[in-house]
Amino acid sequence: MSIFEYNGSAVVAMVGKNCFAIASDRRLGVNLQTIATDFQRIYKIHDKLYIGLSGLATDAQTLYQRLVFRHKLYQLREERDMKPETFASLVSALLYEKRFGPYFCQPVIAGLDDDDVPFICTMDCLGAKELAKDFVVSGTASESLYGVCESMYKPNMESEELFETISQALLSSVDRDCLSGWGGHVLLVTPTEVVERTLKGRMD
Amino acid sequence: MMELDLSGFESCPLFPGGVVADHGENPLAAASFQLPACSDFDGFQKDAIQMTKPAKGTTTLAFVFKEGVIVAADSRATMGGYISSQSVKKIVEINPHMLGTIAGGAADCQFWHRNLGIKCRLHELANKRRISVTGASKLLANILYSYKGMGLSVGTMIAGWDEKGPGLYYVDNEGGRLKGTRFSVGSGSPYAYGVLDSGYQFNMSVEEAAELARRAIYHATFHDGASGGVASVYHVGPQGWKKLSGDDVGELHYKYYPMILTPTEQEMADTSAA
Repeated sequence: MSIFEYNGSAVVAMVGKNCFAIASDRRLGVNLQTIATDFQRIYKIHDKLYIGLSGLATDAQTLYQRLVFRHKLYQLREERDMKPETFASLVSALLYEKRFGPYFCQPVIAGLDDDDVPFICTMDCLGAKELAKDFVVSGTASESLYGVCESMYKPNMESEELFETISQALLSSVDRDCLSGWGGHVLLVTPTEVVERTLKGRMD
Repeated sequence: MMELDLSGFESCPLFPGGVVADHGENPLAAASFQLPACSDFDGFQKDAIQMTKPAKGTTTLAFVFKEGVIVAADSRATMGGYISSQSVKKIVEINPHMLGTIAGGAADCQFWHRNLGIKCRLHELANKRRISVTGASKLLANILYSYKGMGLSVGTMIAGWDEKGPGLYYVDNEGGRLKGTRFSVGSGSPYAYGVLDSGYQFNMSVEEAAELARRAIYHATFHDGASGGVASVYHVGPQGWKKLSGDDVGELHYKYYPMILTPTEQEMADTSAA
């Protein structure tokens, strides 16, 4: 199994009507052994910007710490939060800096820009951006996730329906992957509130 | 004149047609599988072995106690990281008094267990009595030893009740054959052993033993990524084997560790139930 499959992960983000949802599994493993079932993969950059990092867990944590540092510097200089598009460019640049010794992570960025229009994108481990209008996926369960999201997704879903859809998509995909799962974590972000929920999933 | 039964000397399997060597032939002549006609046989062998990938991603266990033998297994099949099935039968019924477990290559285990069942039945017909667990496991071990190094992946346990009482043997593709009272095979076996060894007592009732086996499989499915699905538990007694239970481990988790709802969640659960 490859270095991307060492810890196991699944992250997905979906766009709804003036809102977005980002979800991840909660397993941390070492090859086939499960070590923890409460591992956090989705991190907050600011109230309207979240990043989910799949792949090697240590690189995900280090990359997150570097990104938070860069964003705080930005906040001090510009006296405002970063726009999601700008942040995506920052992540891409940071990843390409390590072109010949990369971070083994695949980030999923989701945010609301100044007009509260949802923005999602994903990247490979070298920083190649992939913008999408509907959903983005990453992790060991990504192929399953693509299939399930493609069939379950509808544009302009309201927040409750979006929550249901993303939860079902995540749970059914990770049930076909032995390296991810053991519960789920969903964040639903609208212009006015952020709802964080834990999913009850199969623990095998 | 009575013909001596030399089938025990046969180190090779039956023809694909499923018929034992005829009376006319020398019973000691080696029957063989057809080999592939290709230029690079070694390379072909290597690729074929890599394909079957002897990873043994599974959890099976069996133990002997006062009332017989308990055999339990999960039901997940994986191809690398992908879960190809959550409903594989890993406990095979060799005959009404003997069970075998599957770990390793599914095709290998299924074929050779069926082959063993045939040999056991032939033994019964030839000798007018059921084969012992010792004999059955020896037959299988000899076959597997003759294929040693050819990439078979079989980690099986043969459990049964014969005239000497309950019997349990572990047989693998390396040619190993061990008699014992407690075994667990597969990638989830360390976790199963932990639970099994700490809870084992010879003087258990059938229900207690079944619950111990169920818990051991559940804990293995929790920690091991390659195990999961349904925990099946069988019991082999003097009258033969009987399937005791098949519980989905996803549900077992919440039964053993029920979620303690916080007051808000409790309220939500009550309103939705109302």
